[in-house]
Amino acid sequence: MINGAPLLEVRNLCKRFPTRQGRAPSPWIIRDLTFSVADREFLTIVGPSGAGKSTLLNMIAQVDVASAGEILFQGDKIGTADPKAMRPGLDRRVGYVTQDDNLLPWRTAIDNVLFPLEVQGRLDDKARAHAQVLIDAVGLTGFERYYPHELSGGMRKRAALIRTLVYDPPVILMDEPFGAVDAQTRAQLQEDLLRLWNLGRKTIIFVTHDIAEAILLGDRALVLTRQPARIAAEHMIPIPRPRSVKSFLTLPGFAELYERIRAEVQ
Amino acid sequence: MNDSDAASPTVDEAPAPAPGIRWRTHIDRAIVLVLLVALWQVGSMVLGVYWLSTPWATLSRFVTTLFDGELIRQSAYTVEESVLGAVIGGVPAVILPFLLRRSPILVAILDPFMVGGYGAPKLALAPLFILWFGIGLESKVALVASVLFFIVYFSTLTGVRALDAKLVQMAQLVGANERQVARHIVFPAAVPNIFAGFRIGLPYAIGAAVITELISSNRGLGYLVQVGAMNFDTTQCFVAIIAATIIVLGAGYLVDATERLLLRWRPAGDMLTDAGGN
Amino acid sequence: MTTIDPTADLAAPAPLISRKQIIILGRLGLALLLLWGWQEGAETFGSVFFAYPMDVVRRLIEIAGNGQLVTDLLATLRVSGIGFVLGCVGGVLLPFLLRRSKRWTDAIEPYVLMSQGIPKYALAPWLILWFGIGDLPKLVIVTTVVFYIPFFNVFAGIRGVDQRLVRMARIIGASETKISREVIWNSLLPFFFTSLKVALPRAVGACIVGEFLVSTEGVGHYIEHARELSDTVGVFAGIVVATALVLLVNALVEYLERRALAWRPVDRDMAL
Repeated sequence: MINGAPLLEVRNLCKRFPTRQGRAPSPWIIRDLTFSVADREFLTIVGPSGAGKSTLLNMIAQVDVASAGEILFQGDKIGTADPKAMRPGLDRRVGYVTQDDNLLPWRTAIDNVLFPLEVQGRLDDKARAHAQVLIDAVGLTGFERYYPHELSGGMRKRAALIRTLVYDPPVILMDEPFGAVDAQTRAQLQEDLLRLWNLGRKTIIFVTHDIAEAILLGDRALVLTRQPARIAAEHMIPIPRPRSVKSFLTLPGFAELYERIRAEVQ
Repeated sequence: MNDSDAASPTVDEAPAPAPGIRWRTHIDRAIVLVLLVALWQVGSMVLGVYWLSTPWATLSRFVTTLFDGELIRQSAYTVEESVLGAVIGGVPAVILPFLLRRSPILVAILDPFMVGGYGAPKLALAPLFILWFGIGLESKVALVASVLFFIVYFSTLTGVRALDAKLVQMAQLVGANERQVARHIVFPAAVPNIFAGFRIGLPYAIGAAVITELISSNRGLGYLVQVGAMNFDTTQCFVAIIAATIIVLGAGYLVDATERLLLRWRPAGDMLTDAGGN
Repeated sequence: MTTIDPTADLAAPAPLISRKQIIILGRLGLALLLLWGWQEGAETFGSVFFAYPMDVVRRLIEIAGNGQLVTDLLATLRVSGIGFVLGCVGGVLLPFLLRRSKRWTDAIEPYVLMSQGIPKYALAPWLILWFGIGDLPKLVIVTTVVFYIPFFNVFAGIRGVDQRLVRMARIIGASETKISREVIWNSLLPFFFTSLKVALPRAVGACIVGEFLVSTEGVGHYIEHARELSDTVGVFAGIVVATALVLLVNALVEYLERRALAWRPVDRDMAL
């Protein structure tokens, strides 16, 4: 922690969709959610499949408004109830890797990766070199000029991942990014992610419904209840790094943790 | 590094088409062509040259007027009218949906007028434009512009509306402002639809130019047809009609080729397989 | 645990003017603006180029009263109707016939595509040469204009039919005719109706345009005749009638479609 204060704090966060006039109030999706994230921490959030996890990330990323509660980033209150006052991505301090890769179909892989830098006016040789390093790091070398429809699902995920990494946001949100690929590809992606994270530790909030993934990747795991979502439990994950993705079942402490969390998720 | 997912077509499209067209089909087509020409020739012999010119006469007149420049000159008038009209009608039609993108209320207000304009027979305005602008270039350009405007407007509007909101959100997350979103996200997404609009509208556009020339003109391919008919010179009629057809087909091919070039990023299954484009 | 205000983030109270009302007001406003523009145009450009709205209204009443309007409308509708039917019959039958033989289809496909490039109206002078000024040239033009619409729709529809259904029917022993009728026709119905819906207004429009070139009657003739006499009011009046006619026909087919297919979700985006 820097100065002992958490990087990101969520306090009593509540969210429900606006109730229409004359109707019964719509149900709470998130209610009284409180947690914090330390600088450079890899936090995983597990919970049953449902709207809550993505909605939480949307609020942190400032693409959705909270109904009540606060979100503090580096001590500054950022949550707002006014949709027009939202600042998506919080001026590039919060990166967001969504479930769909959302690559621009009309750009090649490398142009997609460079897109944030282009938009931010930071596209110079150093930036391009950095992008190439990332491309090599995830094994997309040689595929830079391919269009998204020519890439496999796993490759598109990787491209989307390094597109967020390329402009170095201090906090990265990840919403079940590896959900829609097969198990083997997923293991590969998890390995890539861990390796990248080891190279330059950022603050990551990783949401998933896969308990094994949550334990494998995170320093700490939060368990979310069903709607209205709140924190059911918090677990430190003492498994030392670097962790081997391929043999995750045999990691020390993995099995007990898995059982405990599985019971909580019920 | 072990890459378990090499690049491969992501979606299993329909089975790949047979490589090339079989030679038998080429021969079949040649036979059909011969049959058609033979039918033409027979018809011309039976009915008389005043009613139906012969294939040979048509061909030789075509070649003659092509090489002495007359056909090119008249075609150029028609093409000029079509191109000018396409630009004058098409450009605002493309820009308008982008301007209106952020204001669905304005779009809704305009909607019945646009739908009415699209449904109304623009070609019926031909006499009006001739009344206003005379028999020169302007009346044709005006008609072409009005025809193309509504077609391209609706195509572009569809493209702008069908935009994937998640892509816009992604761009905003990495810091894009409104202008950048319009330029990098909205516009590329709408380009296929813009092309579709022009592709569909082109035959109508050229037809509009020709039709105005038929009613009243002193030059252009429509003029040639009209004069030919008046002089019982069916050969000239046919030559002009064939020239106009070539222009329509050529323009369509040009748009398709440009589209293919610019839209290389599209997955194969997305290409509109509509054969004729109504 | 903070107490949560249950009224927090309820939707804002309904505004004074609802969105719908704004839109309707906006449309009315735009319509009035256009009318005003028309009046202004008439005053600025003079009666040679522009007809005053009131004069146009007077003329419309006049031709409605003396029977001219009815005569012309019937003439146009008569030719449009026949051409529409002929064009649709051909446009629907031909794909079914072609279905029987892939060889024939491949052979003539390029020629059909090329023939679509022929500007149909350009044939008018030549047709007049043949048939004189009467119904026939217009009929031919309307028929050829209409033909391609159902033709391509039905053709694509046939191609798009689920081949597994066809195979299944064949295995069961159904004859080709039965397959055509049962499997293909039913899969096609939406395409068929869409193309009819598009074709009818086009038929009317094509007829009107044909009448510019060759006619002694009909709405299009009225417009062109007025132009030749520099009767600007007549031109405007004729265009109003033509536009109203086509839009009405359009509205009629949309209404019929909604009624006929009320149980089926209508795909609005197929308009183009």
